[in-house]
Amino acid sequence: MDRRKFLKFSVGGAAGAAIGASLAYVKPFGHAPEKEGQRVEIPTTCEMCVNKCSLIAVVENGVIHKLNPNPENPKSRGMLCARGNAGLQQVYDSARLKRPLIRAGNRGEGNWRPASWDEAFDFTAKKLSETKDKYGPQGTLWSSTESFQEVFFRNLGAAFGSPNQVRHPSLCLASVNLAYSLTFGTVPSFDLLNSKYIIMSGANRLESFITPDTMDLIESAEYRKAKLIYLDPRFTVTASKADEWYPIRPGTDLAFILAMLNVIVDENRYDKEFVANYTVGFDKLVEHVKPLTPDWAEKETEIPAKDITRIAREFSDAAPRAVYYAGRRSSWYREDFHMRRAQAILNAIVGSWDREGGMVPNGKIALGEYLFLPWDDPVAPRVDEMDKNFPLAAKGDGAYLKLRENVIAGTPYPVKAWMVHKQDPMNALPNQARTLEMLQQMDFVGVIDIQMSDTAWYADVVFPESTYLERTDPVEVLSGITPVVVYRQQVVKPVHDTKTTLEIAQGLAKRLGLSQYFDYTLDQWIAAQVKELPLEAPLEYLKKHGVYVPRDFPKYGSTLNAEHRFVTKSGKIELFSERLQEANYDALPVYQAPAQPPPGKFRIITGRRAYFTHANSTNNAWLNQFAPANSLWLNQSAADNLGIADGDRVEVASTVGAVRLQAKVTQAIRPDCVFMLHGYGKKSKWQRLVAGTGGCDTELLETAWDKVSGNASLHETFVSVRKV
Amino acid sequence: MPARPKRYAMVVDSKKCINCKACVVACRAENSVPLAYSRNWLNEETRGVWPKLMAASHPEQCHQCDHPACVRVCPTGASHHRPDGIVVVNEADCVGCRYCMIACPYNARFFREDKGVVEKCDFCVKRLDRGQLPACVETCPSKVRVFGDLNDPESKLAELLNNREYRVKKPEAGTGPQIYYLI
Repeated sequence: MDRRKFLKFSVGGAAGAAIGASLAYVKPFGHAPEKEGQRVEIPTTCEMCVNKCSLIAVVENGVIHKLNPNPENPKSRGMLCARGNAGLQQVYDSARLKRPLIRAGNRGEGNWRPASWDEAFDFTAKKLSETKDKYGPQGTLWSSTESFQEVFFRNLGAAFGSPNQVRHPSLCLASVNLAYSLTFGTVPSFDLLNSKYIIMSGANRLESFITPDTMDLIESAEYRKAKLIYLDPRFTVTASKADEWYPIRPGTDLAFILAMLNVIVDENRYDKEFVANYTVGFDKLVEHVKPLTPDWAEKETEIPAKDITRIAREFSDAAPRAVYYAGRRSSWYREDFHMRRAQAILNAIVGSWDREGGMVPNGKIALGEYLFLPWDDPVAPRVDEMDKNFPLAAKGDGAYLKLRENVIAGTPYPVKAWMVHKQDPMNALPNQARTLEMLQQMDFVGVIDIQMSDTAWYADVVFPESTYLERTDPVEVLSGITPVVVYRQQVVKPVHDTKTTLEIAQGLAKRLGLSQYFDYTLDQWIAAQVKELPLEAPLEYLKKHGVYVPRDFPKYGSTLNAEHRFVTKSGKIELFSERLQEANYDALPVYQAPAQPPPGKFRIITGRRAYFTHANSTNNAWLNQFAPANSLWLNQSAADNLGIADGDRVEVASTVGAVRLQAKVTQAIRPDCVFMLHGYGKKSKWQRLVAGTGGCDTELLETAWDKVSGNASLHETFVSVRKV
Repeated sequence: MPARPKRYAMVVDSKKCINCKACVVACRAENSVPLAYSRNWLNEETRGVWPKLMAASHPEQCHQCDHPACVRVCPTGASHHRPDGIVVVNEADCVGCRYCMIACPYNARFFREDKGVVEKCDFCVKRLDRGQLPACVETCPSKVRVFGDLNDPESKLAELLNNREYRVKKPEAGTGPQIYYLI
């Protein structure tokens, strides 16, 4: 931990305590106290996905009646999606976790014994201490996913002394983040509301919501007449709204982008002034893309050369109001990083940087920090050996698949206890059998969640967390073109015997002898955060509004001056990256044709519907009704060849597993691909709507990762399909 | 001068609809509609042969007709037409005969076994009374529905109907439906 924090501790801690004492939980300012027969509205923040939209909870007689969108938050654009509306089901779901549980039978048998919190804490602390005694603190693994109280879980793992924390990015956006970071020194947002020309590779934004991009895309495509070019092997909702949709051959997007670069460079269509002032390596780029013509790319992508040429011209004509959209879940192929880098380079050379309608570096709002006692940095290196395997990647987040393989192999050292915070690796990592193998070699597994996930199902102890509507959380800044501060406050008291993550961390810390690092209350933490906000009574403001929106955004052009230094090696936008070269990677994106499925096999691709978040909301009754089971999308012509009719039961098999589900014979997917929704065929019987219903995609997906970022590659698996 | 009477109606811009189901869940929560039923729904269509395809989704609910067939056939007056144009069912007066369900050309009504009454969309009258928009209108990520007063020439609804082409569903039924689909 940062020593600076320790030095400031006495000052910040004391101030925090003083403010915190007067701000114990009270009903939000401006709202009548809750009474029998009364209706109150409480602004808070959604947690049904990662977007953190602002909402207003309507509580009647102490029960949540409805969640409405909060129009004050410009990021959520005054909407609340299906999941947001279904959030209250989390609170009142009869199958949710209601009390701590300790495993009674074998792992995965589903025999649980209700336990008191003291017993669950004692048992877990004993197991963690035993592991530490035997293998050192590095023998414990702490995995978590983005949420407002994740910080307390991570701090517990760090205070315990483990270097092994692993988060979601290497199953999601690690490759796109690294590609933009190495090019611009930051990961920008895309000003879709003001763009005139938008190209998207597979980022199915109209079914995979990102705020405000999803809303802005509809607004600009339908009203402002921006042109949307969409590349996807599947006919998605986004494809149906696009001006042009190309069912590109999977894994060849980089060839398309390189050919666009070829046209723009060859025809002198780039922004010469911008390239000269703000970038390095353009000369090398010119040489690099010279042979990569649209004719060449047509053979790779199956997109006609004349269209690639025309799109490149239209794109550069529309610049700087033109973007090749980065995408979010970029865990596609082994070469994913280079594809994302090529997008970044393309956007850069047409000057779509820090200008209206282009890419815009995220605005920031400074929050205060609660200064707690620091702990010693862990001594051991990470078990996934990030320095050796992925020297340029974000180390704190880890590389999940490499980590799993190392843990199973016991190299470089054994890891025997696993604490999981609101993550479901069984459904998040490809090759479920391997994930289970990793889990089974653990001496102890503890899970904190709100529902019995598949990972919890195999755990030894399950801690029930209070749902987001039952708890108050630390304040968060949502970065973006217009950044905002959001606040999540308790809407109803916990319905069951559940606790917040801070309370769980403190309960464990006490028994692990780490209490001195958690010697604060949530109120003190929040008070320290908000005291820097330029508001007279910041916490009262947040309780009343749920969100704080500074006035001075959006800002364009703050990086467009000679003095600005980009956070890259050269201080400029790096078209050619010396850091990549030094680490023995391609310094400019080099295309390598992906393997294609052999005859009789299909590439399995993954994706989303707007009413589910990852694998975790398929068991929400209000959402499950839209897709009670998943099915295998199979092109009509491929189905005809296999003698499969719509609705037939089929077996899908890869080298690592096989699942059975219904076939959905459709025109809406390439004949060489199949697709299925995520979050079905669950092992946990407590997820009764999806337990054993449909097929689980992670049982099929093979282990593969992007070479530079370590991001999982979820589209590299070929499967066979047969009628059963 | 008496206040101008209101005539509530809805414009639907299906081109913006992304079939995300937010309206369906919002309605379920707001009106406590059991899972087996729904007051609103999305009509989905996908046409064409790979790779020449089109897909669309069209939200639908009670059309709050000007000459509602459901009201005409109701033997008890439970289904009635409010002065502001909204067709509502007074649960206390409904005997569950379900004539209205047969009369409705849009299949917008359902019979609730648990309560023994017929139910349907009422433009969230309780919300309107509080000055809020209907739940489906407010929650929509792409703002497909525009709700308003036909008699208010300043409304967004009137502006759209003046400047855009539109159609109604099943005009031949002669019920005077008040959900206008932009073309």
